[in-house]
Parts: sequence; structure tokens; C-alpha cells
Amino acid sequence: MRNRLTPYLFVSPAMLLLVAFGIFPILVAAVISTTNMNISAFANWNNVKFIGIDNYTKLFADPAFWQALGNTGLFAVFGVPAIVVLSLGVALLLNRSQGVFFRSLRAFYFIPAITAIVAISLVWGYLYNTQFGLLNYLLSLVGIEQVQWLSDPVLAKFSVALVAVWRGTGLNIIIFLAALQGVPKEYLEAASLDGAGEWKKTFSIVIPLLRFAIFFVSVTTTISWLQFFDEPFVLTDGGPLGATTSASIFLYKEGFRLNQFGYASAGSIVLFAIIAIITLVQLRLRRADDEY
Amino acid sequence: MKRTTQAALAVVAAAAMTLGMSACSTPAATEASGPLTVWVMGDSGANFEKLVAGSGIQVDVVAIPWDSIDEKLTTAVASGSGPDILEIGLSKLRTFADAGALLPLDGLLADYPGLATANFPAGVAGTATAVGGKIVSVPWTSDTRVLFTRTDILAANGIDSPPATWEEVRADAKILAARGDGQYGYYIPQWDAPLPIEMTWSNGGDVIDSKGNVNFDNAAFQSAVDTYTSLYADGSVPTNSDFDQQAGFISGVAPMLVSGPYLGKGVTDAAPELDGKWQASPLPSGDGGSVSLFAGSNLGVWFNTDQPKQSLKLLEYVDQPAQQLAWYGLTGQLPTTSAALVDSTLNSDPNVKVYTDQLATAKVLPLVSNWDGAVGTALLDALNSIVLTGADRKTALDGFFQATKTLTIN
Amino acid sequence: MSTRSNSSDSSAAQRRRALTISIGVALGVGAIITAFPFIWMISTSFKPQRESTDFPPTILPGQPTFEWYVRLFTELDFGRYLANTVVVVLIGFVGLLLMAMAGYAFAKFDFRGRRWMFFLVLATMMIPIQVTMIPTYLILNGMKLTNTLVGIALPTLVSGFSIFLFRQFMSTIPTEMLEAARLDGAGEFRTFWQIVLPMSGPILAVQVVLTFISGWNSFLWPLIIASDQKLYTLSVGLALLNQQLAVNPGLQMAAASVMVVPILIVFIVFQRYVIQGFALSGLK
Repeated sequence: MRNRLTPYLFVSPAMLLLVAFGIFPILVAAVISTTNMNISAFANWNNVKFIGIDNYTKLFADPAFWQALGNTGLFAVFGVPAIVVLSLGVALLLNRSQGVFFRSLRAFYFIPAITAIVAISLVWGYLYNTQFGLLNYLLSLVGIEQVQWLSDPVLAKFSVALVAVWRGTGLNIIIFLAALQGVPKEYLEAASLDGAGEWKKTFSIVIPLLRFAIFFVSVTTTISWLQFFDEPFVLTDGGPLGATTSASIFLYKEGFRLNQFGYASAGSIVLFAIIAIITLVQLRLRRADDEY
Repeated sequence: MKRTTQAALAVVAAAAMTLGMSACSTPAATEASGPLTVWVMGDSGANFEKLVAGSGIQVDVVAIPWDSIDEKLTTAVASGSGPDILEIGLSKLRTFADAGALLPLDGLLADYPGLATANFPAGVAGTATAVGGKIVSVPWTSDTRVLFTRTDILAANGIDSPPATWEEVRADAKILAARGDGQYGYYIPQWDAPLPIEMTWSNGGDVIDSKGNVNFDNAAFQSAVDTYTSLYADGSVPTNSDFDQQAGFISGVAPMLVSGPYLGKGVTDAAPELDGKWQASPLPSGDGGSVSLFAGSNLGVWFNTDQPKQSLKLLEYVDQPAQQLAWYGLTGQLPTTSAALVDSTLNSDPNVKVYTDQLATAKVLPLVSNWDGAVGTALLDALNSIVLTGADRKTALDGFFQATKTLTIN
Repeated sequence: MSTRSNSSDSSAAQRRRALTISIGVALGVGAIITAFPFIWMISTSFKPQRESTDFPPTILPGQPTFEWYVRLFTELDFGRYLANTVVVVLIGFVGLLLMAMAGYAFAKFDFRGRRWMFFLVLATMMIPIQVTMIPTYLILNGMKLTNTLVGIALPTLVSGFSIFLFRQFMSTIPTEMLEAARLDGAGEFRTFWQIVLPMSGPILAVQVVLTFISGWNSFLWPLIIASDQKLYTLSVGLALLNQQLAVNPGLQMAAASVMVVPILIVFIVFQRYVIQGFALSGLK
């Protein structure tokens, strides 16, 4: 009897918190998404009406929502490979030597990951500023005209994504460095004896052995790009003209600026469904990959 | 299937209970005691504590970051647990009144002569800022928009005095922008939704029709759009959205711009050596005079406070002319009571005189629910798409008219 | 190793050395570029107001000043925000223990509902934060936890990601060791406390750093839950400095530096264990 209960005792405190602050809210959102709830609901609960799937039909007809989804997709398509390749590359190079110099460099690459978003908005805002920013000043020294980092609709996408890549690599570099410790030295020595060069060893031995780490980092990075919010929120507020409005920014604005809670909830359910489907597909692909 | 339905029902019930309980509570019949909680915007509550130190009323002041007002107020409204008194920007007043967050003050104000409508300029107190026929706030600070010019740069380019009309702004801006590459004549903040409306008012028009509906489809607004787009067409204004107006003004890159008193304060603090080389002057006029924006913030009482009387007593205290002037001394925010606005010490600064004169004819933005989010954003999107991406003017404006025509102040 | 030495071997070794050095140089340059915004932040925090808004910008302060740091802690109550932040981080460590317990159960016990419970854990990683804000606030309000530091820490106390990492790591602990402890008559919680946790050092180091980062940077919940400024954390204090018009970069950068430097120290202290922790979690 005692044994049967034990695992539940271990699991339940954390599960209760997860259910209360993770699962329950999404159920509430699902219910609210079928209503026309807005801020007047708080004055009088009778102001809320059940409207079925109206929010969803309206959502799929809203060009702003499609723009936000399109932006999110674009961010993910370019952002995920960028972060994975960059973190893997830096980790491979950092792993080349276990000397003091190489070890002390790790902290530098980790700094962006630990910087609070509020601080990031300040520093990058100053760096990117068109007239008075440091980047344009440096470019002006080599005779390049002012670049509108955050004001040009195409470039602004790149600029906010660059900050996210900058911020997203730190933790992943650590994960890859950790995984690299698991690569048996004997394999590499054997390959060297067979006359394999550095490139060949890296690509045919090391990277295949890092498969699970690469997979893990890809999945978590994909999720975080699909929820992309912080950088455009503090740097551009989704502008110029919606060019950096991600799905999360769209939801936030509908919910907290326009107080359309029903509509925003419908959007969150759609976003949640998209993230879940993409993650499940990734997991399925991985399983299929393992079978071969 | 049945279990899912049950679960869903339980969720709704739980949510409804939490929300319902909060919505039903009303002010307690008996006045409680204890310190009043006051929410103010800005970097620190210390100034407000200083201001009310002499009132004999205990306060707990909470400073709310400007960027986070929406989250903070929405969650407070959702739960019904908020402060006793809160500072509300005029543009948010309607939203929070609609949410039932503010205590209607009509029946209570009679006992507090210091808060009488007659103490404030016309158009900002009493029924002028009532929502649904109920007075839900009292004026607290004021803010307006005037023209700032770098007189030294203007003079160096043969312009003797700041432009008085939008036509002159356009002509002068063209001259100043010709100073060289990366130099501009004027600056239009791409986030400043009130600017085209100030232009419309100054052209003698309005954006609300006689029935109280939002209506931008009129000649005065079209003429404002002409002014707005022509400044871009002339190349007189920067096109990047992250232009820093204060740095632009100090460096002289943008020697003319319309902004609020906070710009004057910022320039004085950051560049004292420019003293005498810049000045504030009235908002440029159109055919209908110079009509600026009455912004600023009001104070409201939270709907279920247990100390409504004590709260109003505090509001009356801070709205005394002497305290209003003390607040200006502490923070640089202008007073709203008429007596304080004509104070001779306050007006001894020529720039402040410009602000207070401008306030005399300034108007508040229409109290439409979610003005900023619904009208302001759509207006800026339409105008900026014309000037920045070359969108067709008629299409962009028609879309904007269409999107806002159902909104009303009623 | 063989002691045999010939010309081709030593030239290969030289080539390897040269490659290592050039990689080191490239990484060094990359590190400086990566850390540049940080370096600039520290530098600006020592600049007087005029210099910080000057154009062209200066990299190093011409006339260094400590005035912004003094103002942070004297006028602006940053001492209190710092103390609150530390408390939030400490409460976060309680969450760490709860997640370790859950991870242990998922790794080492077979029980009914394990599969779908673990699925829920993974599902919470996919939920956008904007969805949960209002319902979470209503729950905390119902529990009378608004305006408490516990309420501030509670919504982010456990995370699916961390439970997942704990499970991965603890799966590698040999079951025989647990059986041995049980045969010796140790209770389940004693086994967890005296066998499992001590063997989980590396993953605990990872989690300490992750918990520290998230607690230290927490912004949203302190802002929403605190109806008293005395409960604000550093992030909220920093946001308060962000006025409608940014006028004082030096002060803001000083506040930002106060936020980043302690985390950096925590990371440098724990980094060796952190890498081990991820390594042994089966992330390979």
C-alpha cells in the first residue's frame, strides 16, 4: 500500500502547481474563446455571451492574424537553424581545447542568455538607433549610409531576430558542450589513426553522436520561436506596420490593449494547437529516424 | 465524452465564481480606516508621499511602470482587488470606467467643494469627462502639446521667428532640411496618434460628428493628412521610427517638433548649455486657430474601496492650488486647477506661460472605449502606410474610416 | 603514447597547434562581439549624463562617475528590490526540490497515470504565457496570495522543462542502489534525500543556475501580483526607470548592470557542474 502511494506523493506537489498554473489556464482560455468576453465583463458578468465558434471564424478572416502567423513562421524557419547551427558550431570550437583560455571564453558566450529582457531592450535600443546608435556610427566610419535597423519593415525582422539569436545561443552552447563530453575519445583516436581529418571526424563521428542533443535543442528552440515575444515587444512593439508582430504579440495586443479576451483566447488556442502539432511531428520524425 | 463536458463545466463554474464574487462586491457601508493605497505612474512613489505628507492622511504609494499599465490594471480589474486611489491617463479613462473599476462620484462630490467642476478649465472636469453620464474621476495633472524650436538654428538659416501656421512649418522645415545630409527640418513621432487630430482641430474640424460617432471623413481631417504627408514628401522629417526626439532636438538634427512640457524639462536637464537657444511657442494653427491636446491624468477612486470618504478627502487635498504647484515643483507636471494655472510664479517662466496659454483652448481626446488601441493605432497605421510604404492614400484612409465608423462616445 | 618521433608526426602536431591557436583567436573575437552589448552597458553606467547621450558615442567613460549607483541605492530603493529578488530566488529553490521529486518519480517508479501525467508536463512547455496570465492571477487572488512574495514566486515555481531534465538525469541512477537502501530499511523519502539527491549533484547545479536566472529576472508576476511597491523586484525597478522619454541612460544602465553581474558570478562558479549536469542527463 505504502509503495503504491509513494510515486503519487513525489509527483503531486509539482503536478498540482503545473495543473493550476499551466493546464487550468488553457482550459479557461478554451471556454472563454467561445464567448464575446471583454473588459465590460468585469463590471457585469451578464455582459458575457456564448457565441460558439464566431471568434475562430473571425480570426481566420483577420489579415492581421495571418500576418502575425506568417511572421512567426518566418522567424521559426530562419531562427531555428540559425540558433542550432551557431550554438553547435561555437560549442564544437570551444570543445577543441580544455585549456584555461577556452574555458574562460564560455562565460562570455553565456552572458546574453542571462541578461534580463528589460536590460536587453535598453542596450540594443541604443545600439540600433538610426541617428545616434553605435552600429550606424561604426558603419559611418567605413562610409556606409545610415541603416534603419528597426524602422525598415524587412530589416526590422532581421534586427529583432538577431537579438533573439544572440540571446538564445548561450544555454544551447552549454547543452552541446555537455553532450560533447559524452563523445568517447577512443572513437576519435581510432579515426585519427585511420587518417581521418578534422572535418571528417567532426561530420562523420561527432555530429552523429550528438543526434539526441541536436534533436532536443531543435525542439525547445522551435517552441521558443513559435512563442517569440520578448524582443519585438521591447524593441519595436510589433512594428513597423506589423512587420515584427509575432503571433504572441498579436494575442497580447488583442487581450491587453484592446481587452478582447474572447478573441485573444481563441488566438491562443490556435497558437497552442500549432505548437503542439509541430512538436508532435518532430517527435514522430525522431522516432521514425530511430527505427532506421 | 461525458467526463470532458463535466470538466469544462467545472472550469466555467470556477472561473465564474472567482470573477463573479469580485464583480458583486460594492463599497462597504461603513468607512474603514488605515492607510490609503495609491497607484501612480512613473519611477517612484516618493514624490507623492512627500506631496501628501502634510495632509494627515496615511498613504501607501505604488509606482507603476509606464510600459506595464495595461497588464497591471487589467488584472486588477479582473480580480476586483485594486488600490483605493489610482492615477489614470485620460486616454484610458473610458476603458476602465466601462470595466466598472471606478467609483461613480456624482453623489459624493457635493461634500468636497475643492473638487467642484468650476475649479477646473472647461472641458476637463465634471460631465465633460463623465462616462455614461457618470463622473468617475477628478482632474489631477495636465499636459499639452506645443511647438519647440531651436531658435539659434532657425536664425542661422534666415528664419526670424518660430512658424505660426502649418503652412509656415512646411516652408521652414524645407529650408532647414536643406542644411545637409542627415539633417531634418521637423520631426513627426510615428507613435504620436494625437498629432493628426490636433491638426484637424486646428483646421476647425472635429473627429466626432454631431451624434457622437467617430467620423474622420471630413475636409478638416483631409487637410491635416495633406500637411502630414507633405512633410514626408518634402523629405523634411526622418523616416525611421526610433528617432530620439530629445537627442534630435539637442543635436539640432530636428530643430522643430511638437511635443509636451516633458521635452522642455528633458532638454533643460540634459543640455543646460542650450539655454536661450530654444523656445516653446504655441502649436501651429490651421484655419481654425491653434487647438492643442489636453492630455494629462485624472485621479479616480477604486470601485470597491472601503474608504471612499477618506479617498475623496485626499483628492481634495492634492487638488488644492498650493499642492498642485508643489507637485509641479517636484515632478514638472503641470497643474489642472484654474487657480494654479494662472499662478504668477508658475507663469514667470516664458515656456510655462506658453503651456498654460495653450491649455486654455486645448481639448481632450474623445472618450471612446479603447481610443489608443482602436482608433489611435488604426490612424497611425493608415498614415504611416501612406508615407512610409507608399500605400494608396484613398484606399488607406477608406479602410481607416470603415474600421472606426462604428465607434462612439455614447 | 608512442615515443616514436618522425618529421611527419611533428609537422602534423604543429599544424594541429596552429589550428587550435587560430580557433582560439576566432573564438576570442566572437566572445568580445557577443559580450559587447554587456561591456557597453557597464561602461555607460559609469558615464555622466551628458557623455552617455553624446554623439559619436565613446566606448570608455571619459570621466567615470559612481553617481548612478549611489542614486539607485539611496533614492530609488534598489536595496529593497534586491532583497525581494533574493527572496524570490530562494523560494524558487523550494520549487527546485518539488521538481526533483517529480522527476525522480517519473524516472524510477511505475505507476498508473504516469504516461499521461508526463504528457501534461511536456504540454505545459508549449503553452504561450499570454494565455495563462489572467486565469493565473484569478487563482492567486482566490488563494489570497496577491501582494505576497510567495504569490510572486508561485506561478513560475515549477516548469515542465526542468522536470523533464530531472527525469532524464535520474533515469541514469542505478535502480540497484535504491533497492539496496530500501532493503536496509530506509523510507522512501530518506532514500530520495540521502541517495538520490546526493547523486544528482550535476543536474542540481544546472537547475540552480536555471532557477536563479528565472527568479532573478522575474518581471511579469512581481509587477502584477505586487500591489505594494515594497514587493517589487529588480526587473520591475528597472522598468520603472524607463520613462515615456528615455532621458537617463547612465542610470538605466547602472540598474541593468546591478541585475546582470550577480548572475554572471553564479554562472562562473557553477559552470563546470552545469556542463557535467547536462552531460549526464543523457543529452548526447
